[in-house]
Amino acid sequence: MTEKLHMPAPEGPYPPTEEMLSVPVPHEEQERGKAELRAAWKTPTGWRYWSAVNNTEVGVWYTLTAFGFMLLAGLLALAMRVQLAFPGMEFLDADRFNQFFTMHGSAMMFLFAVPMFEAISILLLPAFVGSRDMPFPRLSAYGYWCFLIGGIFVMGSLLFDAGPKAGWFMYPPLATKDEGIGPDVWLLGLSFIEVASIAAAVELIVGALKCRPPGMRVNLMPLYAWYVLVVGGMILFAFPPLIAGDFLFELERSFDWPFFDPTRGGDPMLWQHLFWIFGHPEVYIVFLPSIAVAAMIVPTVAQRPMVGYSWIVLSAVGTGFLSFGLWVHHMFTTGLPQISLGFFSAASEAVVIPTGIQLFAFVATLMVGRVKMSLPMLWIAGALAIFVAGGLTGVMLAIVPFNWQVHDTYFIVAHLHYTIFGGMVFPVIAGVYYFYPFFAKKLLSERLGRWSFWLIFSGFNITFLPMHMTGLQGMPRRVFTYPEDSGWALLNLVSTVGAFIIAAGFAVFLYDLLRSKKHQGQIPRNPWGAGTLEFSHDVPEESWGVRSIPYIRSRYPLWQQDKIVERMDAGRFYLPDAPDHQRETIVTSVIDAKPLYVQPITGPAWICMLAAVFTGGAFIFPTFHIYTPAIVCAAFAIVCVCYWLWTATARPPRSNMRDAGLGLRLPTYASGPNTVGWWAMWITMLGDSTAFASLVFGFFFYWTARPDFPPAGAEHAIGLWVALAALLLVVSWAATLTAREVNHRGHVNAARLALCVAIAAALGGAGAAYLAVADLDPTSHVYPAILWALMVWLVVHVGAGVIMQGYCLAGSLAGKLTPLYDADLHNVALFWHFIGLKALVTAAVLGLVPGWLT
Amino acid sequence: MTDINKHEEQKRFRAEATSLWKITFGPLVWAVHFVATYGLTALTCAKGWPLDPLRIGVGVGTVLALAGILWLGWGAWAQWDTLRDREWENDAPTDEDRHQFLGHAAFLLSIISFIGVVYVALPILLFGSCQ
Repeated sequence: MTEKLHMPAPEGPYPPTEEMLSVPVPHEEQERGKAELRAAWKTPTGWRYWSAVNNTEVGVWYTLTAFGFMLLAGLLALAMRVQLAFPGMEFLDADRFNQFFTMHGSAMMFLFAVPMFEAISILLLPAFVGSRDMPFPRLSAYGYWCFLIGGIFVMGSLLFDAGPKAGWFMYPPLATKDEGIGPDVWLLGLSFIEVASIAAAVELIVGALKCRPPGMRVNLMPLYAWYVLVVGGMILFAFPPLIAGDFLFELERSFDWPFFDPTRGGDPMLWQHLFWIFGHPEVYIVFLPSIAVAAMIVPTVAQRPMVGYSWIVLSAVGTGFLSFGLWVHHMFTTGLPQISLGFFSAASEAVVIPTGIQLFAFVATLMVGRVKMSLPMLWIAGALAIFVAGGLTGVMLAIVPFNWQVHDTYFIVAHLHYTIFGGMVFPVIAGVYYFYPFFAKKLLSERLGRWSFWLIFSGFNITFLPMHMTGLQGMPRRVFTYPEDSGWALLNLVSTVGAFIIAAGFAVFLYDLLRSKKHQGQIPRNPWGAGTLEFSHDVPEESWGVRSIPYIRSRYPLWQQDKIVERMDAGRFYLPDAPDHQRETIVTSVIDAKPLYVQPITGPAWICMLAAVFTGGAFIFPTFHIYTPAIVCAAFAIVCVCYWLWTATARPPRSNMRDAGLGLRLPTYASGPNTVGWWAMWITMLGDSTAFASLVFGFFFYWTARPDFPPAGAEHAIGLWVALAALLLVVSWAATLTAREVNHRGHVNAARLALCVAIAAALGGAGAAYLAVADLDPTSHVYPAILWALMVWLVVHVGAGVIMQGYCLAGSLAGKLTPLYDADLHNVALFWHFIGLKALVTAAVLGLVPGWLT
Repeated sequence: MTDINKHEEQKRFRAEATSLWKITFGPLVWAVHFVATYGLTALTCAKGWPLDPLRIGVGVGTVLALAGILWLGWGAWAQWDTLRDREWENDAPTDEDRHQFLGHAAFLLSIISFIGVVYVALPILLFGSCQ
């Protein structure tokens, strides 16, 4: 066997000693480093500004856009409150009211709550962990543009009176039978945004795991990073079931495959399961990051480290897991066996424990600290009060008999607004006040902030506290009006008045946010006296992130590490310069954050925007049932992504090593499990496999729920083709793996040959998979339909796999991929591990399982 | 001055590549127990099978899950090692503190998982029939 080629290992002293850190940096060195970094990180100006990809730019756009969608969704709520102010109002007709409540819920969840987490994290996470940027800035930019296009498309449908109107959960058969394009707008528009959400989740997980500064071990991470890890993981397991559900739903809407149609063996309950397996964790996906903001503010207010760091980690991880065992508590009235309801009732009570622990940790920190009451803390206090009230009604609702009584009444509306306003909106506003000096380099007004708080806080309680009563008196949700003699009129009027008070509070907040603050002058760098790295930021602004990447040995470095900011500013730490004018950051190991290599980071580009536009076309055209332009758009989107990867990622470096500062020399290229790209692939495929597992779950769900699955005398997939598909795809996997190994040992031609074999085998495998089910009619019954759906899923993934294999082959021929610089091939091989597994599972479900079941 | 390729600290605390996964094992046991219990129950009720085999199956599964969590919790307790050094915060930049912190987190998570498993098993004991 030929010797493997390896990149050189890091060399030099590590960790740095106090003597090394106390050596001053010569003035001219400092100036040279600053000039180089400024050149590398220059934000484009003029109209080119919009090609920026830096997290401080994209994060601000993202946050403002999500906030804008929230205001729009809030206006919809105001319109609904006007309609409900008096019995028999005719401000909105029933149809428009339906569109408004559907879009209010959908927009608040998909266009505000989840994107807001991503936006804030993209903006702040690199600063929390003292890194220069997110590991994949262009991916953030792509995700942002997808979000913007998708959001405008979905919200815009209201202007054409074409909005979805079946409720934010789109239950079939109401939504499958809807004759307008509303459900398609919802399904395709929001799927498009979900893809962007998953992209952001992948990036954030990798950012928290691999881009921490040297020395920041897992026991020293800012708590926010722990929450990011947990929430990112939850997104990976919660969103894919919804994407799989959307996939089935849209196949039914567009091609009449009867997944949710009981007359042909389908079952609307499958949608409810898939939707709520997403929908309940989703509540915690919006709650945890907001409480994470509180976890950053509370220690600053108390002027001491958080009490019970490990307890908060327990609470975040524990809530993340338990929240997946709650979904059926949204389905207590669907006629499931009561013994099953019992499990979900029990798990719903259990999740209170970890959720409560973190609140107690906050309170304990405030009790033992020297509290300096500030505006952010006021909002956090409001959040805790409201959230606890919402949590208590949640405990009530977890009890099945009570749940039956108030199901689909205004009691639920009150409960969910208490949890989400208290658990998400208030902490996020607290975060805006707290972090505003960091990202805008200005301070918000103390006086306006208090006005805004008391308006929103009192308005909120005036609106939603009476709704508990309205619900107990029997008023159902989602009715556009109610009769005079119902006795609900006064409570509704009070709620409407409260809604306007909330709106006034938001108007004050918005004014404060956007008013000119030029007269304010330069603000102090760390106005709250915080202990975490983000408040080492530069005032006035510099776009390099951190001047030099610090060595961390405490949880609150600004409090616990002497002279750290001074040394960061002087460029005493790592990567204090950029000799090639190339954007870079340090990638470290997952557990102990030991420096591994220097990762080049992509700079401004239009290509991610272009890719987003084409991806948008691929999702938006099918809404109107026009498919040719959609396919053309999808093809262009793929071309754009390939171009962007080819020109900017995993290029052979100019030299293999780089002086990283403090005598440390680090490699400038890496491949395999050390790299951010490999982790991103692994995490993405974990999410992708969850979606696939949801489809397989669908197959078995039909089998348990329906006596006629598979129907008697049904035609099955053709066993020979199924076996051939499995065989060829496994061959393709093996050939890809072979290519990686022989390439690594320097046999470039053998690797190219193996890739050719892999491509041919994959194409053959995809063809065989198609032939296996080609004769079945997917519109006739759900059994052939689900077999087809599994086949389509597999073939699409094999298609992606073939493009990747071709990309590596082209890279090898063009000299981009060599035996030493083989990151692409490692990542593609990892992708193919998953495809191989999927091929085997699909083949088993298509070819073997039906035989066992009948 | 230490070279980046040298290890000064004790061998047993060296970067545990799998240790971050390890803290999730307790909750994972809960998840597997939950899915299996729910799945078997749904199947039993949908197909109209008798409840007693289900009760026995879930009972055995619960005992196994609890035993597994206890075992994980015991390991985590030893890793936390709080009786020896009485150190709660584990916020020093050392391999030892990172090791003990992960033990502490895993220990707390196994307590939560234990409670979760007990909760989820209760309906099987309390319900006489599917309805």
